[in-house]
Amino acid sequence: MSKEEMFKELSDAVVTCKKDVVIAAVEKAKGEGIPAPEIIEKGLAAGMNEVGVRFERGKLFLPHVMMAAGAMEEGVKLLEADMPKDAVSKKLGVIVNGTVEGDVHDIGKAIVSTMLQSAGFEVHDIGRDVPLQNFIDKIKETNADMVGLSALMTTTLQGQKDVIEMLKENGMRDDVKVMVGGAPATQAWADKIGADCYAENASEAVVKAKELLV
Amino acid sequence: MTTEYKLRMGDGKRIFMTKEQIVADLKEGMADAADLGSIPDLSADEIDKLVDIITMPSRMVGVEQGMEVPVTHDIGTIRIDGDQGNSGVGIPSSRLVGAMMHERAFGADTMELGHIDYSYKPAKPVIAQEMQTMEICQQNMIVPLLYGAMPNMGLYYTPDGPFENPGDLMKAFKIDEARQSMEHSAEHLTRDIVWIMQKMMASGSDGVNFDTIGAAGDGDMYASLHAIEALRKQFPDIYIEAGMAGELMLGMHGELEYDGTTLAGLWPHEQAPLVAKAGANVFGPVVNTNTSKSAAWNLGRAVTFIKAAVEASTLPCHVNMGMGVGGIPMLETPTIDAVSRASKAMVEIAGVDGI
Ligand code: B12
Repeated sequence: MSKEEMFKELSDAVVTCKKDVVIAAVEKAKGEGIPAPEIIEKGLAAGMNEVGVRFERGKLFLPHVMMAAGAMEEGVKLLEADMPKDAVSKKLGVIVNGTVEGDVHDIGKAIVSTMLQSAGFEVHDIGRDVPLQNFIDKIKETNADMVGLSALMTTTLQGQKDVIEMLKENGMRDDVKVMVGGAPATQAWADKIGADCYAENASEAVVKAKELLV
Repeated sequence: MTTEYKLRMGDGKRIFMTKEQIVADLKEGMADAADLGSIPDLSADEIDKLVDIITMPSRMVGVEQGMEVPVTHDIGTIRIDGDQGNSGVGIPSSRLVGAMMHERAFGADTMELGHIDYSYKPAKPVIAQEMQTMEICQQNMIVPLLYGAMPNMGLYYTPDGPFENPGDLMKAFKIDEARQSMEHSAEHLTRDIVWIMQKMMASGSDGVNFDTIGAAGDGDMYASLHAIEALRKQFPDIYIEAGMAGELMLGMHGELEYDGTTLAGLWPHEQAPLVAKAGANVFGPVVNTNTSKSAAWNLGRAVTFIKAAVEASTLPCHVNMGMGVGGIPMLETPTIDAVSRASKAMVEIAGVDGI
């Protein structure tokens, strides 16, 4: 079996969302002598991306995303012994995610948290209608690399801008990436308020977070 | 110089596009819908007609004579009283005044009585007030007056309700527990909706509007369909309007079924038959507006989805048209140029029975 075929098999295994299938594929890949980091990056993680795409298209659902993430985690565990020392169980980055003050919409934000977590980030979801100061406090407490700000209403969008201002006032802006989202947010808005990125949906949020943090 | 037409972005921003750009965006939006829903493209004639509607010089457009459709309103009773934070205009007035203004001044064909905390669950503690208001409104009005609210199943999860939040459970990989939490919540939601509507029917309501079914995912739709079924059984003549929350039924649970069909992942044309089966009278499909795309892209996409839903539906379809849905930009007060164009397209191309 070629390496490419093996990667495809690993990726497909994650898409099945089944632990046994993923474990079997990982064992097989190990047997073929494929280095652990490649099994994870080109096989399992590629599968997880595909799961995200299918979720966005309504072909796979939230529990499947979690099952796939769980199965992938099991697969990664099998590889830990073969991984370079510093790479073991290292999270991709720490992200504080929440819906800004005055806005109780949290369904989309929760999906974003779930997808970021299943992609390997350490996520601190601080809920909805979150007083803006709490974002700052939580970022300090967790030493976060990124903050996700969700707003679902044109009337609460301003909260995203305010958090960026507060980060500046606290001298933290250079150390924290800001990702904004929610239906009324756009790339133009993100540019205007000086956010580091905007993502339209949860799988795009994962891609953007990886671009900025990994 | 090529002629440029005035359009909007999905966030309401003014933009200028040439006819070629408009056609390209329309087709791209259409292709997105056709791909996601596995539904047919619009015909060349329909695309031409959409281009005509978008490029009409008048600021505001209307349907051709003879193609008028009924308009029904959801939370309109408080749209006069509520200010912009409530998607309203902020003129102090009672709900009765709001409803009568819609009937007598704005030409609404049906109205809905809604509570300021617009979900079924919070209507329970104030049911006496709701019953009294329904009675008074009915005494003063002629058009059918429904009681309406959002199923909003999220209110049954912690911190708002008794069942552990499935979002938190899911993140801890407790998938079975998360699903059980949704199933329990759905049972309670069905029960609450039926109880509230028993009271409202006793007060002379003409029926019920389910506003934003599925907002909390497939469990929300499951509970709503069961409530529709139960209400149809208890009140054979009740008028039931079933409006959706979004275009795609979000799979939070993933395995809930109605009449043998998995609810998660359904698009408007697939939702329609289930709503009919449950016993509703009117189906209210939704297509979300993408704020990063042009009105042409959004309208091409929305009309493609809704046309398929109208064709699949045995019930009249009253498409949801408002800020951020139905190809209309997401603004507190969406502009008339965009609202009237999107509405005309829905009636004349998608073939909706009402708005
Ligand atoms: C469900 C819902 C509710 C529920 C929310 C339940 C909950 N726990 O979240 C309830 C009933 C509570 C509610 C209340 C209200 N709502 Co509401 N609600 C909706 C609805 C129908 C769906 C939102 C949703 O969950 N979509 C599904 C999720 C999956 O999508 P999403 O949120 O867009 O998230 C995705 C992306 O945006 C992105 N994303 C989201 N967050 C983030 C964050 C980051 C960092 C990134 C990168 C990406 C990202 O990824 C997500 C996954 O793909 C929308 C209409 C619509 N169809 O969008 C109206 C809507 C958002 N609500 C609206 C309004 C006006 C209200 C109320 C003010 C109504 C009222 N009069 O009381 C109140 C708000 C009260 C408050 N202070 O916040 C308006 C907002 C209009 C505006 N001015 O902008 C909308 C657009 C409806 C409308 N057309 O009137 N609502």
